[in-house]
Amino acid sequence: MAAMAGLWFVMTLSSRPGGLVTRLLAGGLAAIMLGSWADCLDEFFRIDKAATWDNWLEALVPFGMLILTAGIYYWRHEQFMLNDHLAKRERLFRQHRAFDRVTQLADAAYLRHQIRLEQERGPSGQCALVLLDIDGFHRINREHGSREGDRVLQAVGHMLLLNLRNEDLLCRYAGDRFALLLPGMGDAEARTVAQHLCGMVAMMRHHGPHGPLHVSLRFASEAARGDAEGLMARLSAAIDGTGQALAQAASVP
Amino acid sequence: MIRYTLPDEATIPARGLPWQLFDYALQRDALPGAIARGTGMPGDGSLPLQGALVSPQQCLQLLANTLRALESPDTSFMLGQHLLPGADPLLSAALRQASSLQQALEVLCRWPSRLLPLLRPRLHLADGQLVLYWTDSHGAPGLRAALVEMHMTAVVSLARWLGGRRLPWKFCFNRARPRHVEQHEVHLGGELRFDCQLDAMLLDARALSLPWPGGGAGAWAASLSAASEPAELPSLADALYDHLLAEVRRGPTLEGASAAFGVSPATLKRHLARYGTHFVAELDQVRTHVALYLFQSRHADNEAVADYLGFHDAANFRRSFKRWTGLTPALLRASLVT
Repeated sequence: MAAMAGLWFVMTLSSRPGGLVTRLLAGGLAAIMLGSWADCLDEFFRIDKAATWDNWLEALVPFGMLILTAGIYYWRHEQFMLNDHLAKRERLFRQHRAFDRVTQLADAAYLRHQIRLEQERGPSGQCALVLLDIDGFHRINREHGSREGDRVLQAVGHMLLLNLRNEDLLCRYAGDRFALLLPGMGDAEARTVAQHLCGMVAMMRHHGPHGPLHVSLRFASEAARGDAEGLMARLSAAIDGTGQALAQAASVP
Repeated sequence: MIRYTLPDEATIPARGLPWQLFDYALQRDALPGAIARGTGMPGDGSLPLQGALVSPQQCLQLLANTLRALESPDTSFMLGQHLLPGADPLLSAALRQASSLQQALEVLCRWPSRLLPLLRPRLHLADGQLVLYWTDSHGAPGLRAALVEMHMTAVVSLARWLGGRRLPWKFCFNRARPRHVEQHEVHLGGELRFDCQLDAMLLDARALSLPWPGGGAGAWAASLSAASEPAELPSLADALYDHLLAEVRRGPTLEGASAAFGVSPATLKRHLARYGTHFVAELDQVRTHVALYLFQSRHADNEAVADYLGFHDAANFRRSFKRWTGLTPALLRASLVT
């Protein structure tokens, strides 16, 4: 019993960040450990029943249980606060699943799944899909390394998230391409949203290791109808096309 | 006599491709000990010693460890983006100074074992179309898909970086459609075809001579002459492919090939077994590639191809082709047209 309580004590201290709840839990467990240690002492040694120190030590067990109960009570409060805090992220991301490691956004497989779900939910309802691509991202990767590239992706991901409604879904499609599912939105409305997002990212100041880096986006959008893979392929082709036009415009002085 | 190397001979400078793989894995927070296991790289994640060599087998193990540790569908593509211009100082300078895709591909195809030691690029020009296809240098069937993704991305990304624009490549893959097709779309391009018999990238040959902004023909030529003639021995798989391609019309045999390599047939068999392959499989692969080439660019019919490959009649060829590829020539031709 004493050994067990000691083990719980160590595990509690090593797994939880410091604070009131941790102190209460650990203190309670420590008191239980000490008390039961004293309890088992008189199995081996002859101890006078009137020795007050032994009685006091044994009384630590119920006292420790009280402290532990108080700790668990506050722990429950803490958990409610945490749930409340996470709820906003969960709604934004919808589910903890299939996350990309760099940006903490959902991946393309999850997006395809969500498109299908959205279509099943209301076949007649409006829903728009926008693809966003970072201009010249491969150059950032080449010139500043892939670590800096990852930081740009994270910054853009955050910027986009901050400007979305709660029911929208942002995914990292692949590479430097983000996908945005906008339930209940028509094509023209989605275009406005995408233009606004591009404007926000262009306003953003990203600080690289060698001074500020300019980051800009371009987009393609369509109503999310029909087969998800075909839809994504069409949008990808469209966004490649606008990229091509941009590069040509840049090369003609 | 043709000399060759085997996959367990240390031939790859550890500071080249192996360090690129290792470094990428470390940047993505993989544990150095797990990545270095069985690869001859330092287990603490430090830069290997100057002049240290690793074998192709160890290099493939390193790739396998990296893919497993990072467990992300974009690993092979990201590795590909950093593969070229590579770590060889003279050849990477030559690549950087190339003034067109043609010059860059010339460098790649002339020094493949120094730039791309794991997969061999092979260039074909026919009917105004460039075909760049890839063959295995060291036999790694389990890693084949990742290697192909990596090397195709390397060429696409080099051309995009130096040429300043995306080229309209088309891609064929000798595999079923993967789940992570979005990675192909973004890193390579939208023109993808799966279930082909060949891992190849196709491009209009006019793109070969488009001028690249950063190129300098004089500097390119100077770097080329500074880079010594390729002295590295080819791997057995590459040497055998070349030999079979040259001999394909004369009905190559195991005995003939082993005589050309100066070893006994039993030794050649044993060496091929180390790649997990055997002579007939290699021969069938070369004949498939030749047949595909004739179908695609010469629009040859069965008779002509059968005759070219030394078959007695078209029916015989048709049966063999079905055995090599699982498709009849007619079905394959139909799929080439669409």
